[in-house]
Amino acid sequence: MALLEVEDLSVWFHTRNGVVRAVEQVSFSVDAGETLAIVGESGSGKSVCCYSLLGLVPMPPGRIESGRARFAGRDLLRLAPRQLRAVRGNQIATICQDPMTCLNPFLSLGEQLMEPLLQHRKVSRRAARAQALELLEEVGIADAGRRFGAYPHEFSGGMRQRVMIAMALIAEPKLLIADEPTTALDVTIQAQILRLIAEIQARRNLGVIFVSHDLAVVADIADHILVMQDGRVVERGAPRTLFRDPQHPYTRKLLAASRRGRKAAPPPPQREPVIGIEGLRTWFSAPGGRTVKAVDDVSLTLYRNEILGVVGESGSGKSTLGRSILQLVKPTAGSVRLGGTELTRLNESALRPLRRHLQMIFQDPYASLNPRMSVFDALAEPLRYHRLASRRDVTAQVLALMDDVGLPRSAIRKYPHEFSGGQRQRIAIGRALATRPEVVVADEPVSALDVTIPAQILDLILALVARHNLSLIFISHDLSVVRYLCDRVLVLHRGKAVESGATEELWAAPQAAYTRELLAAAPRLD
Amino acid sequence: MTGDPLAQAERGVSLWRDAWLRLRRNRLAVAGGLMLILLCALALLTPWIAPYDYKAQDLALGAAPPSAAHWLGTDTLGRDLLTHVLWGGRISFAVGFVATAVALAIGVLYGTVAGYVGGRVDAVMMRLVDILYALPFMIFIILLMVIFGRNLVLLFLAIGAVEWLTMARIVRGQVQALKQQEFIEAAVSLGLSRWTIIRRHLIPNTLGPVIVYTTLTIPSVMLLEAFLSFLGLGIQPPASSWGLLISYGAETMEEYPWLLIFPGLALSLTLFSLNFLGDGLRDALDPRIAKD
Repeated sequence: MALLEVEDLSVWFHTRNGVVRAVEQVSFSVDAGETLAIVGESGSGKSVCCYSLLGLVPMPPGRIESGRARFAGRDLLRLAPRQLRAVRGNQIATICQDPMTCLNPFLSLGEQLMEPLLQHRKVSRRAARAQALELLEEVGIADAGRRFGAYPHEFSGGMRQRVMIAMALIAEPKLLIADEPTTALDVTIQAQILRLIAEIQARRNLGVIFVSHDLAVVADIADHILVMQDGRVVERGAPRTLFRDPQHPYTRKLLAASRRGRKAAPPPPQREPVIGIEGLRTWFSAPGGRTVKAVDDVSLTLYRNEILGVVGESGSGKSTLGRSILQLVKPTAGSVRLGGTELTRLNESALRPLRRHLQMIFQDPYASLNPRMSVFDALAEPLRYHRLASRRDVTAQVLALMDDVGLPRSAIRKYPHEFSGGQRQRIAIGRALATRPEVVVADEPVSALDVTIPAQILDLILALVARHNLSLIFISHDLSVVRYLCDRVLVLHRGKAVESGATEELWAAPQAAYTRELLAAAPRLD
Repeated sequence: MTGDPLAQAERGVSLWRDAWLRLRRNRLAVAGGLMLILLCALALLTPWIAPYDYKAQDLALGAAPPSAAHWLGTDTLGRDLLTHVLWGGRISFAVGFVATAVALAIGVLYGTVAGYVGGRVDAVMMRLVDILYALPFMIFIILLMVIFGRNLVLLFLAIGAVEWLTMARIVRGQVQALKQQEFIEAAVSLGLSRWTIIRRHLIPNTLGPVIVYTTLTIPSVMLLEAFLSFLGLGIQPPASSWGLLISYGAETMEEYPWLLIFPGLALSLTLFSLNFLGDGLRDALDPRIAKD
């Protein structure tokens, strides 16, 4: 008999605006030592599905409409809250996406680990400490004794996730529910955490439910995959058969999102430099008299009509590099030359007329648009301000821009909050193009978008670069996106450029050790 | 292309409109708003609808309780109370709105500039606010009255000059949070001037909390005026305000309670209406609700 058997689970939310069928007739089972992956976009019901088993869905508005969940001889959905709490702490453990919100910032990690042991097991403090240390070592925290008294904020994201896993293991659970446990982490850290979960699973014969939006992440670890869309399971199967022969169109879409491939078009032949960066340094002074060298001696040349990828993990300085090039952050030293003009020496008012040649596309389309300006206002503002359109043809030009970025003309008087994330990003791209720039810096423009949306935006960016003869600096942590889009790549690590080269050459023969590590860690679907 | 595509396109729901739709569903706020409109209309139309002449006295009548001839009764000099409540309301509303407008104008501009420019300018500007905060308000007003004599304009200015401090702080906080938003960075990278960014991108986005705070400032200003008049520092007879009427009413409360009750009711009604409207606006303008 399986460890957990869920049959016909339906969870609906009864909201003021109607009934949302978050989970509809979902069935699955997990065995000891087995990993079930539930994959889907946000809003597909994958998390609600897991949390409803543990009674963690707010009720009301949520309501379990039907179903059974057999676990250790009992039906989880019929348990009283008190009984469920015992199951939650003991036999089923969860790991969440952001460990910082799950850990108490005021308690040292050691205290937090010992607490359940002292409370539930009634062991002595000394025994609890010994056991907690053992757990920290099991999840690969070196030097556990010394870090026992440290607080959550003193740890990196990856370390915190390890601590979360250690906490989940305290009660010796039989089933582990991991909800996007690596989504907030860098690729190299993600690979480590995935490996750690697999090791622990094998050692303890755990059943694991792994919730993710990314098929590539679960490809290597899942025994079974459940693909969910709009609350329903649209496809299920072993990874191999699922990847080789996906039946449902939605599965194919998800696969395409994780399996981007290489850039189709060859790099542009003529090499006309547009912007030249020499020895760029951007340093910040941090509290305690330290200096953070966000960008440290980076040089690069951007040619017309090319897309240069800037790759690096969080904290590598890639965003600061982009903003320093655009002079949104004042560089500490070095030179940025646009045409014949040295930008770093100009003051703000001298810079202002030049700014229209340098535009930026931001990561979060929810924050990058003024919520009080309609599409027309947002796109007309740069046109009017830089006198690129006369009063009479402003509307025509705005409409042309909307056509360009694939927004329906009828949406011209709508406001940002009336659009989806992908469409908002189109508005933001339109605004960047309105000034007819030469150089555009795109800072993770697709990472805030839902799984199947980035493909459309990336193709739009490719088309626009070709159509408008743009030079694009594309900043991303996602290697598959960079490979699909970029002609050349620059790898940043701790503010320094460790390697640069043509994309396919770099992929075939990475020179720097860090690049090799990065490429090896990226989850792939082959 | 036939016709103006702008006019043909479906009109989007701006956040303002969205807030308006939400406000309309809040019965208490709507009632408050209607009551305010009624009171404002009465104040504006006072010269034409007041039943008696403002200066008319009937010493023979003296203080009389409400009757068919004098709906709200008369005071000790035989003056019609309804007439005086109406005229007093005019002054109270004028003080409330004008002083709040003064506070609003100074506060929003000052707060926006301090928040947006930041750094040393901000530090100096906000320390000035702190210093003004620390000055005892009453002494400030009394000094002004002593030096410049008592007049209405001065009262507006004095109250406005005190009330803008909180407004400036609220706006500065808003602007500091907004400044971190990417759409401000986008505006900078579009090459817009500072003033354009402040005017088009910052101020419109701070207005939600500002409007709410304004509806809560008006009643506090009216109370302040009432308080000053009560102490004899505000409006001087023969001009009248609700505060002054309440002050007289309080003196003769035991013999002629209606002289206290009716002006007090008028003031309370106004304050309640403003507070209900303010609460409704706060709920309606909260962008967190608008987001989902």
